[in-house]
Amino acid sequence: MGEILNIDHLSVAIDTPRGQVQAVRDVSFSLSQGETLAIVGESGCGKSILCKSIQRLLPSGGRITGGHIFFGNEDLTEKSERAMTRLRRSAFSMVFQDPMTALNPTMTVGSQIAEAVRLHHGRLPKAEVSRRVLELMDRVGIPEPVLRQHQYPHHFSGGQRQRLVLAMALAGEPAVLFADEPTTALDVTIQAQILDLFRKIQEDLNTATIFVTHDLGVVARIADRVAVMYAGKIVEIGTAEEIFYDPRHPYTKGLLRSLPALSRGKATLPTLPGMPPTLMDPPAGDAFAYRNDQALAIDYEEAPPMFSITPTHAAATWLLDPRAEKNGEEK
Amino acid sequence: MKKALWKLLKSLLLFVLSLFLLSAAVFYVSRLAPGDPLVSYYGERVEKMSPEQRAWAEARLGLDQPISTQYVRWLGQALKGDFGISYKYKMDVLEVISSRVGNTLILGGMGFLLIFVGSALLGTLCAWMEERPLDKILCRVGTVLSCIPEFWLSLVLILIFSVNLGILPSSGAYSVGKSTNFGDRLVHLILPLTVVVLSHLWYYAYLIRNRLAEEIRSDYVLLAKSKGQSRGKILLGHCLRNVLPAYLSIMAISVPHIMGGTYIVEAVFSYPGLGTLSYESARYQDYNLLMVLCMLSGAVVILCGMAAKALNAGLDPRLRDGEVRP
Repeated sequence: MGEILNIDHLSVAIDTPRGQVQAVRDVSFSLSQGETLAIVGESGCGKSILCKSIQRLLPSGGRITGGHIFFGNEDLTEKSERAMTRLRRSAFSMVFQDPMTALNPTMTVGSQIAEAVRLHHGRLPKAEVSRRVLELMDRVGIPEPVLRQHQYPHHFSGGQRQRLVLAMALAGEPAVLFADEPTTALDVTIQAQILDLFRKIQEDLNTATIFVTHDLGVVARIADRVAVMYAGKIVEIGTAEEIFYDPRHPYTKGLLRSLPALSRGKATLPTLPGMPPTLMDPPAGDAFAYRNDQALAIDYEEAPPMFSITPTHAAATWLLDPRAEKNGEEK
Repeated sequence: MKKALWKLLKSLLLFVLSLFLLSAAVFYVSRLAPGDPLVSYYGERVEKMSPEQRAWAEARLGLDQPISTQYVRWLGQALKGDFGISYKYKMDVLEVISSRVGNTLILGGMGFLLIFVGSALLGTLCAWMEERPLDKILCRVGTVLSCIPEFWLSLVLILIFSVNLGILPSSGAYSVGKSTNFGDRLVHLILPLTVVVLSHLWYYAYLIRNRLAEEIRSDYVLLAKSKGQSRGKILLGHCLRNVLPAYLSIMAISVPHIMGGTYIVEAVFSYPGLGTLSYESARYQDYNLLMVLCMLSGAVVILCGMAAKALNAGLDPRLRDGEVRP
């Protein structure tokens, strides 16, 4: 299990007409081959931007303001756009939240998959390309690929389109697959099928996956490791077991408490009070302090560092500081 | 098959009905407008005519009847293919028009082609350079240019290139006696063509630019980028392709728009085409000529509108019938 991706103190800012948004703030993590890392967080916490910035696909106005992205031995933050374009052909693939818009509506699905095949393999005989297209469509579970490759995206259902996008992603035989809420727009039965497909593909190709989601049920099903993001920062990271059975950050605890499945039989569903802060001008201390009923005075002044709990588990909260111990774990 | 035939029949019916309504409207409006049609037939002599002579002349041209009677008579003749004679040229209306229509087709056709291709190129260039200095400059220059009225731009260009520099002719389609000389015709085309193209170019280029800019922000472009497709290939292979159906149908609608511009430019440059003819016939109450010119222009407008609709449905797979095509 070699380490293939290492994010080192990455910060991303987006210039908007109303000011600069600090979308990703000092994020570090690493990813090993064949591993699935789930990034969990509320809408707007910067998880999508994090994915895009790793592939250097930031929207206009967005830029990396600090840190490094190591892919193998290469630092992606120093690469030219042209070099990145070449690198993306074999290094990365992406699956989006909305399969309705991710496909070009005026091209047949077969030709869109063929484009991905050709980009990855360079020159290939026509027969070979079309053979691979059919194989990919078959692999992601599209029935009758011979007939259906000539159809347009609007002839397919949402779940099928997500399969097609996945087929395109696989055509590039990527080292890292980014899945940006790939199941959010699908209904529950289809979700389960798509997740199984992800699992299967990962076992077949040994692809590392970064799986962005806000659905903890999905996380439990697919993730090896989990990173919890809040206000542009990773506040807790660990193996799926550590996060689900031994959460340390009050935000992670709050998220888990608010799962409907865990409140079965109770009169009310616990929720996190308040709203996440705006990232236009993030607070100086712990961004979560304002919603945290265990917040300490220092939370409002200084951002907490990552406290290591086990070699794989770390959380950024002052509650883990030895000096805060007498404050108690549970209230 | 039957459905297609029925559709064709329906649009044909609509076409005929529109032309009929147009003819009635133009007939009434032109005759109610102030002016003396006798002037265009008899020229200056009209002023010296006695009331009796006038009455006789009007009766001879059939202008003494009520307008509705005149219209029924005109319609009856027109359905037989007889559109009457031009008061001014004393010739069959169709003959007058056929001697001029070629010139307009050359000017308008070339203008349309240049606008069509030029706009696509310019719009794509701007989308490629979006928000960079070149795009910003082009956007501003283009907006100013497209706001300048055609007649004024024509006059300024005549002033510069014909009057001051004396390198280009200011009017006509060819020099006297050189009607078949290709080079001479081309030199005469430069100024009118420039005005026609310049005054329409940016409108359509801007359309392409904005449609492309919109496409560039869509998810499938991000996906294509993450596949490792280059920016140029995405723009030309994916985005332009999606913009093209809309562009083609808009260009079909734009034919009358550009045609109108051509008419004005023709009038300023005294270019012997349908535009000058329309202007004259309206100005001097050359009723028969005016009728046919209006019907002709109207037919073009209606046909282009229909073509636009058909094009749009035919080119965009989303608007086609959702059948599986093996």
